[in-house]
Amino acid sequence: MSKASKVVVVTSGKGGVGKTTTSANIAAGIALAGHKTVAIDFDVGLRNLDLVLGIERRVVYAFVNVIKGEAKLHQALIRDKRIDTLHVLAASQTRDKEALEPEGVGRVIAELREMGFEYIVCDSPAGIEKGAQMAMYFADEAIVVANPEVSSVRDADRVIGLLAAKTGRAEAGNSIKTHLLLTRYSPSQVKKGDMLSVEDVLELLGIPLLGVIPESKIVLLSSNRGTPAILDEANEVAQAYFDVVYRFLGEEREHRFIQEEKRGLLQRLFG
Amino acid sequence: MGALSKSAVAEATRAATRSRAAFELKGVVASLTVMRLRTTDLNLIERQLRAKLTQMPHFFEDAPVVLDLGELEGRLHDFPLPALVHVLRSMRVVPMGATGFDEAHRELVRAAGLGRVQTGAPRSREETRPEPTPAAERPAPEHQAAPERQAPRERAAPPERPAPVRTPTPAVTRPDPHRPPVVLRQAVRGGQEIYARRTDLIVLAPVNPGAQIFADGHIHIYSTLRGRAMAGAQGMTEARIFVQKLEADLVAIAGAYLSADDIPVDRRGKSCQVFLENGECRISAL
Repeated sequence: MSKASKVVVVTSGKGGVGKTTTSANIAAGIALAGHKTVAIDFDVGLRNLDLVLGIERRVVYAFVNVIKGEAKLHQALIRDKRIDTLHVLAASQTRDKEALEPEGVGRVIAELREMGFEYIVCDSPAGIEKGAQMAMYFADEAIVVANPEVSSVRDADRVIGLLAAKTGRAEAGNSIKTHLLLTRYSPSQVKKGDMLSVEDVLELLGIPLLGVIPESKIVLLSSNRGTPAILDEANEVAQAYFDVVYRFLGEEREHRFIQEEKRGLLQRLFG
Repeated sequence: MGALSKSAVAEATRAATRSRAAFELKGVVASLTVMRLRTTDLNLIERQLRAKLTQMPHFFEDAPVVLDLGELEGRLHDFPLPALVHVLRSMRVVPMGATGFDEAHRELVRAAGLGRVQTGAPRSREETRPEPTPAAERPAPEHQAAPERQAPRERAAPPERPAPVRTPTPAVTRPDPHRPPVVLRQAVRGGQEIYARRTDLIVLAPVNPGAQIFADGHIHIYSTLRGRAMAGAQGMTEARIFVQKLEADLVAIAGAYLSADDIPVDRRGKSCQVFLENGECRISAL
């Protein structure tokens, strides 16, 4: 008896806000929670997901090879050595997004569902053109990633509109459950008024908040090392992503990393 | 093509008068799209059609289309009409007739497989009308304005007597009292466009920056307007915009507009009414 599978797109519109970091960490977290998970890099030509997950040296066949029938899915799927429920389907470096055909993408996703993957995480490229459209087309749920900053929020708004109209589900008259993930959040900057607050962003976007990931050097270090932050449980990015993963999987968790840590002088002396 | 013999015709007529008639003929009013050609450059026409199809893939699907040849006048003999018909069919557009041509070109049109359609003059504001919302991008409003076909009403000719059709060409299009207003319950997102044709528009959720909403009638926004709102889109100067919280990028009535910078500072963020006074857009408290 197979469990139902869910396709989740991680998208944003704006580039550089944390889609790939989020795809990597959420896919890893869901896999760590015991679910058979695959992460697909839809950024054909500018692949990053395999680097962030540290599997780039094991890529032989990629997503487009499978779509074009040049390789079988099981040849292209790469199993993570640290988390055995996590698999990756990398993007090609040498092709571009024109190679993504709706029928081909649909076939691959259908095959992944049949293979028993419970969660299929689609890492979208930036923008709203073909690559981003293909990544969202087959989604059952969406995580919209935004930084607390005006142009990112505007782009997120546009993307939310597209999710409600240009996806398979939307065309069939159903809705896609859409969540907001606010990344690179700095409570001290919000307090100073240099950054939009969670409330500001929610007022404009009006979708449920999945979580807040604090601004941190850890993200850069992890991506350079090819180890998703979530694997190092102690750091705050890992904790934030764990919260996100469990909320996504249905658990209630209080939102952390929104308030500034209160460290008054007196507290530090006597606390 | 042999003619039917007299007895065959008599038999068919008798059969038709009995209740088991094989078909019946009716004159109906149908909504059609008229494609008014403005160039003889077939390649250009094809390129622009394909671009439009990409934007609005479901706009044309199997749509019957009448080709208005009126602007091509003396150049019609040089125009590859059958080739255009072929191109249109390849895009699932069904050219079914042509108009705007004279007796001298009747054979040419017939050879392209097109019927002869009589229509009134096209609406004068066709070009200035805002683009209809691509069906794929428009969230489903509760009461949808009729599908966005830009066509004068037509009467399909019963074979015995083609009947000329009178199409009024109003300079100002007013709301149709029989059309319910378009009601939007979900936020209008950046990049979306909603056009309430020949009726009013009521919005119960925010209109985000980068979104555009139009109505031929009034616009009521019971929420925050941050994008653009344009009422009286086809010239109705009495149209008004009523908004609970005005933070718009732009508001306009019948073409007269105020951009964000022009909105008086004391009205920003407040409940307002936008209307025309002496041809200029004004904002007052609600």
